[in-house]
Amino acid sequence: MKNRLSPYYPLLPVFVAYFALFLVGRNVEGTWQLVATLLFYCALGQAFNIFLGMTGYVDFGYVAFLGVGTYGMAIAITGLANFPQLGLGIVAIGFVLAIIMATLLSTAVGAVALRLRGAYFAIATIGVNEGFRFLIEGANLWNGSSGMIFTAQLNEILGRDLASRVMTLWADILVLFIGALAAVVTLLYMKSKIGYALTALREDEDAAKVMGINVTKYKITAFITSASFAGTVGAAAWALKTPYVFPPEVFEIHYTIEAIIIVMLGGAGTLLGPLVGALIYGVSKYYLSIFLPGVQLFIFALVIIFVIVTFPEGVVGVIKRKTRNTAIGQYII
Amino acid sequence: MSLLRLENVTKRFGGLVAVDRVSLEIKKGEFLGIVGPNGSGKTTLFNVINGVFYPDEGRVFFEETDITRMPPYKRAPLGIARTFQIPRPFASATVRENVAVGAMFGFQAKTINVEQSLEIADKVIERIGLSSHGNKSAGVLTPVEKKLMEIARALAMKPKLLLMDEAMAGMHPGEIDNMVKFLREVAQEEEIAIVAMVEHIMRAVVNMAEKVIVLDYGEKIVDAPTREALSDPRVVDVYLGKGAKEENAEG
Repeated sequence: MKNRLSPYYPLLPVFVAYFALFLVGRNVEGTWQLVATLLFYCALGQAFNIFLGMTGYVDFGYVAFLGVGTYGMAIAITGLANFPQLGLGIVAIGFVLAIIMATLLSTAVGAVALRLRGAYFAIATIGVNEGFRFLIEGANLWNGSSGMIFTAQLNEILGRDLASRVMTLWADILVLFIGALAAVVTLLYMKSKIGYALTALREDEDAAKVMGINVTKYKITAFITSASFAGTVGAAAWALKTPYVFPPEVFEIHYTIEAIIIVMLGGAGTLLGPLVGALIYGVSKYYLSIFLPGVQLFIFALVIIFVIVTFPEGVVGVIKRKTRNTAIGQYII
Repeated sequence: MSLLRLENVTKRFGGLVAVDRVSLEIKKGEFLGIVGPNGSGKTTLFNVINGVFYPDEGRVFFEETDITRMPPYKRAPLGIARTFQIPRPFASATVRENVAVGAMFGFQAKTINVEQSLEIADKVIERIGLSSHGNKSAGVLTPVEKKLMEIARALAMKPKLLLMDEAMAGMHPGEIDNMVKFLREVAQEEEIAIVAMVEHIMRAVVNMAEKVIVLDYGEKIVDAPTREALSDPRVVDVYLGKGAKEENAEG
């Protein structure tokens, strides 16, 4: 008799890793900032993996979803600052707004760009984050290029103590939960028809169509899911942690590149991959910036070329293949 | 009632007429061979039947419903399955998962869940003789195993019509005979009509098909019971060039 919980075993290493990160950060003096950065990369990778990993489509404009998520939170906090009695409710509204904005943007981008295949999709999305940045700046939307600073409003809404704890601790813990939730959703997708459809279309879109899979529907589902998570990551890791938002910072393509590295390095389309990729990338970036400052991206360019040439399925992809049909294998997908 | 009916289907690519006013009809459980040399329009005809291309002229009916402009993913749940000339496995997925995808999005798509699809996959894999490969990545199979896997994947869709594109190319005669026997059994049990497209492997066609259609430059030149069709002088002309029969007789 098969254990009813066994399909969920692969979440165990994910949760253990998050818990270990949390413990290290809280108990080892001076590590919380590093842990916070790692949690951000984990959540970013986990969210991006739902699209990049599961569909095989590369979205170079991905950071735009974090950007609009950041704006969602910023708008909620500044717009509702006159109702401080709502307290944490405003933060909740901020998250809802972040999700709505990311969903709207991803639906718009997806409806146009997801009609294109492979490289054409990637090219079409390159402009999305820059385009959105210029739209905000040019149309003077949400304060345009002067951005929004809402530390004072956050203090007012939550009270000085809680606000500072949100900025230094709770924002990071929220990012942890977002990452974990993205992992849960990834697994649920993998175990459902959605996951099978995405695997099929990633491997061979034409064959998938002929086999009865409405590829556009599934691609858009993955895209919107991934984008909504990105929106919440932006809202927590950027808007709540540092209560200001400037267009050039939140629409910086750099973060998309980092997300791609994390997912590819760890193992695109695997559950544990983004986490492993985020830890490898985050820790090495941290030490490289100490010992070889300024060259981390160059080194990662070489690393990612090496990975794609020698083991394109990523670290976890390799482990998954090696441990298939073993006792450990049931924890690694 | 016909299962599949094509009425004067024409498909052009620019100035090239790949399929030229082809009409054909297949009944439930029937076995039809489509024969023709390279470039005669066989694959294009398949692509028109399962919706990869829409025809420029003419109409396609499945169970008397007009499906001429229905996208391919909507045709599969009606009961149309196909295999490809060069196998197209979902390489990173296991054989079992590949076959389960067939069950999941095929004829039973609306009612079936993931577990049931995997159960069907196991059954079909066992029947076709790939049990020992079930948990392997489909990408590592040998070419013949990939063909078998594709057939399993198509059968898991519980189709009413199975389109096989050079399904037996690359198999040796023994394997072909086994495959023919297998397909006959399954087709009979589940009332599947099969359209097999063949360039060279006449052995399969002769042993299976009740009826053969011969295409040449996109045109249907013969539509007749198998033995009759294959001894038709026009077929010999298509394959060996005009006058080959006479030369052969002299030589």
